[in-house]
Amino acid sequence: MRFSQQRGFGLTVLIILSVEIVLLHWFYAGSMTHLAYLTGWGLLSVILLLALYNGRKKVPFFPLLSSEEWLQFHIYAGLLTGVIFAVHISYRIPTGWFQGILAALYLLVMASGFFGLFISRSIPKRLTTRGGEVLFERIPAVRRQLQEQAEKLALESVGQSRSATIAEFYLRELKPFFEGAQNCTSHWSENASPVNHILTKISDVHRYLDEQERATLEKIAALVRQKDGLDYHYAQQMLLKLWLFVHIPLTYSLLVFTVVHVTLVFAFSGGAK
Amino acid sequence: MANPSLTFDRPQRWDAAFDPEMKEAAIERLLATAPFSRMKVDNFPARLPLRDILKNDTRIHTYRRGELVMREGDYGTSAFLVLSGTVRVVLGPSLPASMLGRRLFFRKNIFKAVAQLWAYHREPESFSVRELQKDLSATAGDNQGKETRVFLQDVPRILDKHKTAVIEGGEFFGEIAALSRMPRTASVFAESEEAELLEIRWQGLRDLMKYDAALRLHIDQIYRERALAVALREIPIFKNLSVETLGKVMARTEFGTYGDYDWSGEYKRLLQTEGMRRQEPAIAEEGDYPNGVILIKAGFGRLSQKFGNGHRTLNYIGAGQIYGLQEIAHNWRKPEAPVSMQYTLRVMGYTHVIKIPTDVMEGLVLPEVAKSLLPPLVTPPAEDRVATSAEGDVALKIGADMLEFLTENRFFNGTATMMIDLDRCTRCDDCVRACAAAHDGNPRFLRHGPISGKLMVANACMHCVDPVCMIGCPTGAIHRDSFGGQVVINPSTCIGCKACFNNCPYEAIRMVEIRDERGDIVLDTETKPILKATKCDLCVEQITGPACAHACPHGAMARVNMNDLDMFSDWLKR
Repeated sequence: MRFSQQRGFGLTVLIILSVEIVLLHWFYAGSMTHLAYLTGWGLLSVILLLALYNGRKKVPFFPLLSSEEWLQFHIYAGLLTGVIFAVHISYRIPTGWFQGILAALYLLVMASGFFGLFISRSIPKRLTTRGGEVLFERIPAVRRQLQEQAEKLALESVGQSRSATIAEFYLRELKPFFEGAQNCTSHWSENASPVNHILTKISDVHRYLDEQERATLEKIAALVRQKDGLDYHYAQQMLLKLWLFVHIPLTYSLLVFTVVHVTLVFAFSGGAK
Repeated sequence: MANPSLTFDRPQRWDAAFDPEMKEAAIERLLATAPFSRMKVDNFPARLPLRDILKNDTRIHTYRRGELVMREGDYGTSAFLVLSGTVRVVLGPSLPASMLGRRLFFRKNIFKAVAQLWAYHREPESFSVRELQKDLSATAGDNQGKETRVFLQDVPRILDKHKTAVIEGGEFFGEIAALSRMPRTASVFAESEEAELLEIRWQGLRDLMKYDAALRLHIDQIYRERALAVALREIPIFKNLSVETLGKVMARTEFGTYGDYDWSGEYKRLLQTEGMRRQEPAIAEEGDYPNGVILIKAGFGRLSQKFGNGHRTLNYIGAGQIYGLQEIAHNWRKPEAPVSMQYTLRVMGYTHVIKIPTDVMEGLVLPEVAKSLLPPLVTPPAEDRVATSAEGDVALKIGADMLEFLTENRFFNGTATMMIDLDRCTRCDDCVRACAAAHDGNPRFLRHGPISGKLMVANACMHCVDPVCMIGCPTGAIHRDSFGGQVVINPSTCIGCKACFNNCPYEAIRMVEIRDERGDIVLDTETKPILKATKCDLCVEQITGPACAHACPHGAMARVNMNDLDMFSDWLKR
């Protein structure tokens, strides 16, 4: 099935179910006294199914549909919980502090899910466009290689031209850049000004160099661009990994609060009617 | 001009003799033995004398009773001539996999799939004492660091239960598989107490056939008798020919081998120095007179067409596909407007072809073929546009750049190539974790490899049509699974010789240090770690199929059969 067909099918099912839920809720709101129980249990069931996806990933050899099918379900069922949640709280903003935290947790899980979906669809294309594909685990080793190459060029320039201009410039301006991952936030926002700033400084140094030194500095500039590409991959790939460290703990927190919520509702069931 | 980053001495023929210890006395003896005694030395060119061929491309091997000479299903690079003693060929039923050093793979049932949760070892690639002892028994005794010998147990019982035939002194066997790079069709073992065999590697056999007409006729005759009819009947236009006509066609059929049999090793080195095109001899050129239909029997050919000052790849064709039929059929139907060959056919690595001359096609085959089976008439492309024929459509479907990428890297060889759509891949490594989970904690591939546009071909076994990794495995540990045809390794009989690792041109095989049940690395008597070859087995034992693709949340990965470019094109355009 093409991705567009997949999307069309998912959205159609989502819209049909959402409309049905809203209409049924509107129709029975006056006559059913336990409607909040029904929507609450429904919401909890769907959330539990959504949370199972993480468990499914731990047992890839089980014949339990493919991970892609699970993710499609996860996305559209996740969106559907928004509708169920809305009818469950009867379109009102919760007033109590506990209900407020619970609602806030739900919204945070939802928001982190949206964020994850957005970056999962946009960052891969950006990484492909940028090129220089590298495994995340290999980045520190590649970074070290680039640093060593840059240092070697800077040191060799001293012997070749009997001048320490490049070596001093390297120590002052470039060493910190090569030492670790840099400019994560700039890379996330596709802002190239930090590396342009460094490259401008490199251009400025040209006027103090002879021809041989300029050639050396050009090689260092090429390494700067490579390092910037590596940092870009590091920042974007890290973001793709980090968001799950927000989404999953929030989900577990939501589940814990939900259990407490269910307990409280049944302990004081008169209030739920 | 920039200096090349890497230089090496171009390998020469006979840099490494088949048997460096081949003695002069043994060569004299061979020259006095038929069929070599009947060969005219003067027929051989000065650069390829018969004596040197025997010295460098042959070796004498003495097999003991019950010793396996070759296994059914293996890819062999050499043919054998019986010098003394007798060997037996197993005609049927085939010897069981366990006798041949192989393992039968079975799909796990649901309970075994669940049991993987606790049955796997804490450390990857751990083996029990029992399994390790089995390894030792497979390699002990006759494995003196040079040759691994495998003996069949209970030969009388084999003779009793299997239909066999004797091959005696002066007879050849294994030549068809060696020349056409097809799997061995039968297992052969020594019957007499000692059987002395002359093993002739492919290049030597090719040259002997080239310069000795009698041997060529003899081998061609064997080929015609045993394999040609079946090969021709698989092609639609030959399928319904009468027996008599087919016999006449077979009598006029020519055979040819092009390229380098050992292309895989050479390929790795050439990739680092120069373009591949220079290494691809042309079988037929665009603009040539169509003098025969060419059927690819083994290997691959690249179809290209002149474009500007270069050549543009239009398609690649593999075993069972034909070249030149459209032009010959056109000329037969429209003799008043003849056309020349529309494309150039080049060898990619190694290609074995069958050629049916034009006069045979026009006189015998085409008159008997139904019109519906004939290809359309040729419509030569205008000067300013590329071809839009069936072959050209491939480039239109997947893009010319992609076709060049696949062809340059020879990915068309794969039947389950791991393709990753980088525009969808979030680099989450769920595929790698799933692979590890399905393989005792050891992922069998690297999520890394050559990239073209948004497509990455990962370093994972592609389960090649032409599995060069299988050439030279001394124990038969790497083999095609009898059920699904996947290329798999039996860890119990793998001796860690690295033959497959070195042969694989796609870097899809890894050598790993194995561990015992406690997780300690297993060492040999010289305290060196014992290695085993590991690679993707396409999760042949898992009920889910390949765990990697099953675990990809974003639909970014697929195992694609590169011989079905329609499927690949559909996947690219999802």
